[in-house]
Amino acid sequence: MHAKITQMLFSVIDELNQLRPTDDHLEKNLETPLAGDYGRLDSAGLINLIAVTEQKAAVELGRPILLTDDRTLSQVNLVFRTLGALADYIHLRLNEKNDG
Amino acid sequence: MDKQPYTCVLVSDFNLQNFAGYVANDAEFPGIKSITAPFGQPVATLLDGDLPCWQNAPALAVIWTRPQSVVPAFKALLKYEQVSLPQVLQQVDEYCALLLNMCARVKFAFVPSWVLPSYRSVFGVLDMQTEIGLTNTLMRMNLRLVENLAKASNIYVLNTHRWIAQAGIQAFSPKLWYLGKIPFGNEVFKAAVPDIKAALRGMLGYARKLIIVDLDDTLWGGIVGDAGWENLVLGGHHHTGEAYADFQHALKSMQNRGILLAIVSKNEEPVALEAIRKHPEMVLRVEDFAGWRINWQDKVKNIIDLLTELNLGPQSTVFIDDNPAERARVKESLPEVLVPDWPEDPLFYPATLLSLRCFELPSLSPEDLARTTMYLSENKRRELKKTVSSLEEWLTGLAIRVQVEELHFANLPRATQLLNKTNQMNLSTRRMSEAELMAWAAQQHHRLWTLRVSDKFGDAGLTGLISLEILDRSVQIVDFILSCRVLGRKIEETMLAVAIHHAQALGVENVHARYIPTSKNKPCLDFFKSLAPRFQQQGECFMMDGKQPFPVPGHIELIRN
Repeated sequence: MHAKITQMLFSVIDELNQLRPTDDHLEKNLETPLAGDYGRLDSAGLINLIAVTEQKAAVELGRPILLTDDRTLSQVNLVFRTLGALADYIHLRLNEKNDG
Repeated sequence: MDKQPYTCVLVSDFNLQNFAGYVANDAEFPGIKSITAPFGQPVATLLDGDLPCWQNAPALAVIWTRPQSVVPAFKALLKYEQVSLPQVLQQVDEYCALLLNMCARVKFAFVPSWVLPSYRSVFGVLDMQTEIGLTNTLMRMNLRLVENLAKASNIYVLNTHRWIAQAGIQAFSPKLWYLGKIPFGNEVFKAAVPDIKAALRGMLGYARKLIIVDLDDTLWGGIVGDAGWENLVLGGHHHTGEAYADFQHALKSMQNRGILLAIVSKNEEPVALEAIRKHPEMVLRVEDFAGWRINWQDKVKNIIDLLTELNLGPQSTVFIDDNPAERARVKESLPEVLVPDWPEDPLFYPATLLSLRCFELPSLSPEDLARTTMYLSENKRRELKKTVSSLEEWLTGLAIRVQVEELHFANLPRATQLLNKTNQMNLSTRRMSEAELMAWAAQQHHRLWTLRVSDKFGDAGLTGLISLEILDRSVQIVDFILSCRVLGRKIEETMLAVAIHHAQALGVENVHARYIPTSKNKPCLDFFKSLAPRFQQQGECFMMDGKQPFPVPGHIELIRN
């Protein structure tokens, strides 16, 4: 599942890069910083990341994920610190659903 | 092509940052550099021409709004309050007045039509009813918008519904709206960018004018040389035959809009022409084609020959062929020719043709609509030329009439089109909008005439433009523009005679023309050089004594309106 999530997030990065200057593209790498002190995304970028990730998760993972709930938004800098952190968080949330 | 990006002001009541991102990253010509006006203030932005976004003469503006943000009565209607239709339309008129006022600040402006989110259908059956239906009212508002904005020649309403349809269920994004004040999904913006680029290319004079088609398995199914014309797959009760017939109908519809058609095919010419003449299901006939090269030679050579005959450049041309090897060869050898990827399945031919975004024109002149007829007349002129012994005899036999008119609102669209599209016989290659050209010509020390050319074979329409600036003791020829379709018939000398006679009536000491070189206007330089010794060359300036006679060529009947 984690590999599928990573692939899905790479396709999200492809989408986001279409909106960014060519010399400021995000790397498809789990270490890529997103939000926080060294984050590459401004607020508009983060909004697009959330919207596109939710859209693609539904299609590519076949599982909806909500990233605008209080739990996520109260720890934005942690959840969206890097692409890898986001992948871990999505994995965690999807597993919680399975547990329920 | 101009490599500099065109500056575009984005005005909106919502966040257009994503749209700006797609515009900036789109690799298609022309490049666009966006300046995003503060969102949420479209009316204030339109009103205030002193805002920083309007400084430095931006080339274009995109004004994209939601209807409820600029038409308060529609906002009330969204809450199902009682609002009369005239009240709504009155407010549309007021908004249009702002847009019309703004469009003097830019060369071109685009206004995407208003849409409502497709999920909004609470009272579905009432939606199309007059007075109470939201969709009904919005359709009327959009029509009013189009009618009002037709008063300006540089502002165009774009069809947002096309982009919504392309985006499908992702067209509207409540998530993006509540998080970022972006009402549309990114797919809508992605669909909008090519439309806006295509429209801009049309405004800038880069619309394609000619479609060259192959025959076998392109215009019809089968190999005519092997199967015979009676056995071609075309029309009839056959799905592939119907698709080929529809493809021809699509080409015919393009021709009706002024696009020239031509053939380049590896075939025996008599066999291919017999098929075109005799097959009962052929939609296109021989007279629909401005020219053809049907032989066994290399297609690149044939295309170059054909373009020379038609006096068109590769940048005006689209080449359609089912054979990928032929497409690759043309693409590589003639990179300016547009060679679209072509589907293997003929059922997709009509849709592929109709989805090409390279034929957009800012306006349609009578000259555009009659283009094929004009080229067929040109073929007759060439035939006449073969039967006479001298150039003078040929010119006299043509019975040419040149009608001179000042610039006015009726000929302004075509004159502007000529100014912006003519490259070869163009002294200074100025590019201006209709409003700019009219304002320039209206100045007291400026003169501008247009010329319509006709002969016994047909009417070439408005094909010449010359303008003057009157200085203290001399007159400068500013624009000297002649369409390539009437070159070489001494219309050039006639245009000059009109200008020089006017200058002489003013009693000036000399008439001069400053040639501004481009990569394409050497024919204009050659023409002015050929006028020696009457015109003396000094660098890139050509000067003539104001007292020298410069008669209208004897074979031309000049009519002044």
